[in-house]
Order: sequence, then C-alpha cells, then structure tokens
Amino acid sequence: MFPPRSFVAGALVLVLVVTPTVASAAAPAAAGRIKIVSGSVSVVRANAVLPAKAGQVLFEADTLRTGADGRVGVTLNDDTRVSLGPGSEARLDQFLYAPAEGRLALVLNIVHGLVAYVSGRIAKLSPDAVKLETPNAIVGVRGTTLALRVDE
Amino acid sequence: MNGRRLLVALTVAASAGSLSACSQPRVRTPERPHDTTVALLPDPDDGVVGRAVVSNASGAADLAEARAATRVQESRAPGAVKPLSEAEAQSLFGDLLATLPPRSHHFTLFFEFQSDELTAESRALVPAVLRAVMDFPFPEVVVIGHTDTTGTGASNIDLGLKRATMVRKLLVDAGLKPSLVEVTSHGEADLLVPTADDTFEPRNRRVEISVR
Repeated sequence: MFPPRSFVAGALVLVLVVTPTVASAAAPAAAGRIKIVSGSVSVVRANAVLPAKAGQVLFEADTLRTGADGRVGVTLNDDTRVSLGPGSEARLDQFLYAPAEGRLALVLNIVHGLVAYVSGRIAKLSPDAVKLETPNAIVGVRGTTLALRVDE
Repeated sequence: MNGRRLLVALTVAASAGSLSACSQPRVRTPERPHDTTVALLPDPDDGVVGRAVVSNASGAADLAEARAATRVQESRAPGAVKPLSEAEAQSLFGDLLATLPPRSHHFTLFFEFQSDELTAESRALVPAVLRAVMDFPFPEVVVIGHTDTTGTGASNIDLGLKRATMVRKLLVDAGLKPSLVEVTSHGEADLLVPTADDTFEPRNRRVEISVR
C-alpha cells in the first residue's frame, strides 16, 4: 500500500523546489534601514513592539514610535530620508521601489509628533507617487525637504 | 467534521469574536482634535527649495518658497501660507533635521564606446567609493545598472544587472566587504539623458553606485 518510491522522491523534489519560491514571495522586501537612534525608540511590526536599533531593517507597514527622549533617523531604499523627534509616531503605509517595472509608491502616515522628510528617487521619478498623510491633511511632495508637526 | 476540527473551528470563531469585541470601543471613541503644521524647508545639503501641496477635503495650500508654512486645524482648510523666520524654523525643527542620516553619496561609472569596459576615469572612482563607505553609520552600497533604450525592456534589465554585477566584483576585489554590496538593475527605465525608444546614447549606458 506504500506509494511507489519514485512518487515519494518526486513529491520531495517538488517540495524542495517550491518551498523557497513561496517563502520569498511571502517575505516582504526591505524598505530601508534605521541609521540613527537615540533615547527610547521602538518599531511596531504586526502588533509586536521591538526596541529599535541602528542598522535595523525596516519593512512596509512598520511603525516607528519615539518616547519623550527618543529620536530616530532612517534612510529608505530610494535614498529618501526621514527623521522623527521625541514623542512621535509614523507608519510606512506603502513603499514600492521597482523602477524597472514602473512600480513606485511612498506613503508615510504621520500619526503624531515631529517628522522631517527629504525626498529620494521615488519623488524624482514619480512625484505623484509620494504622499505624507496626517490625521487631517495630505501633503503631496514635489521635493525636497519638509518638516511636519502633528498635535493631537 | 471530526472532533478536533470542530474544536479548531470553534477556537477560531471565538478569537474572531473577541477581536471584534476589542476593536469596538476604538470605533466609539470620539475623534480627537488634530492640528498639523507643514513647513517647506531648504534642502539641508544644497539649500534647494522644492514644492509641496497641503490639502484636505476643505481646501489646499501651495508651499513654494523657503520656510513657507501652513497650519491645518481640525478638518478646516489649510490656513494662509506664511513663511517662518529662520530662527523659528531652527527652534521648531533644528533638532529634527540634525537627526536625519547623512545624504547618500552617488558615483556614476561610464563605459568605453561600444564596449563592456569601464572608462579609465570611472575605474579610478573605486577608491573614492571605498572611502565614502566610512562616512556612514551602518553603510549600504547599492550598485544599479542602467542601459540606453536600444534593445527590449526585458533584455535591458538583464544587461543592467550584468553591468552592475561586474562593478560589484570590482568593488569587492578592491576590498569592500561583500555583505555590504547589493546589485540591482533599472534597465532602460531611469535614463540620465531622456531619449526616444531605440536610441543609442552612451551617457545612459552607466552604472550608478549609491553609498548610504
């Protein structure tokens, strides 16, 4: 009643071949990296709150949150730079940087606090693809440097 | 459905129920007041002033000069645009700008005419790239291959990747840590000199190195 050996071997090969492809399709692409951290800073990813470290990779949908003494500086993969001052929170709602496929998007949602933004390649290649959102306004960017303060 | 599956289904249903119970109070919370200030600042590195439009359902404001700022209160239209003084911009945002990581360094390498060989000037940039890496906290080096518009889009993505991989080898042979270098290709989608399709343009046949 055992399946023929070749079938088992074939199934095994199929699993080995298919698994990495599925894993890489599911794994989100890195969006950028934390370069500067001082004071208390955390990354909120899928409901988990992680302490932020310089050198740490960020992904689309990550939230950065700083404490009363916290500051953080980030460089995204298209050379966009973002910093947060104390008592701030911002979420990278969308980050798509695939110029060869014409797919470009950057949506940064500033929940509250102080945020600086210096535009990168996405804004240069496709200015309409960049949006900075706050609870009561949307900022469309034609470059280069903006500072926002959002109070609740 | 066997007993075990039923148990799993019930657990899933129960947790879905408790999730929606958790999110309900959030929906009922009255909206908190919001107050947004947006300022357009000169670029911290080269002083260039860009442009931005601040909008919501009630209106829009155009920021087009150095330190131009607008304030949006609640759901009202963005307020009149007024420039901040240099002192105001510094006191509001000075520390914030000081927390920005350093700006990326860019190097562009070109090829000899109708050849896969880099020009001598381009090869001579390698030591400068290695030095630039030391300026950055947790450095990354991204090598991007570009092509002109001759050939198909897909073949140009491959060609760009081939060029970038060659430059990566050059950097690693010169002593750069392999784990810091990433290669990618923009094919013909990111031209230095805009041209029509199927146009030979030596300045578009290039490899860009971004150190950040």
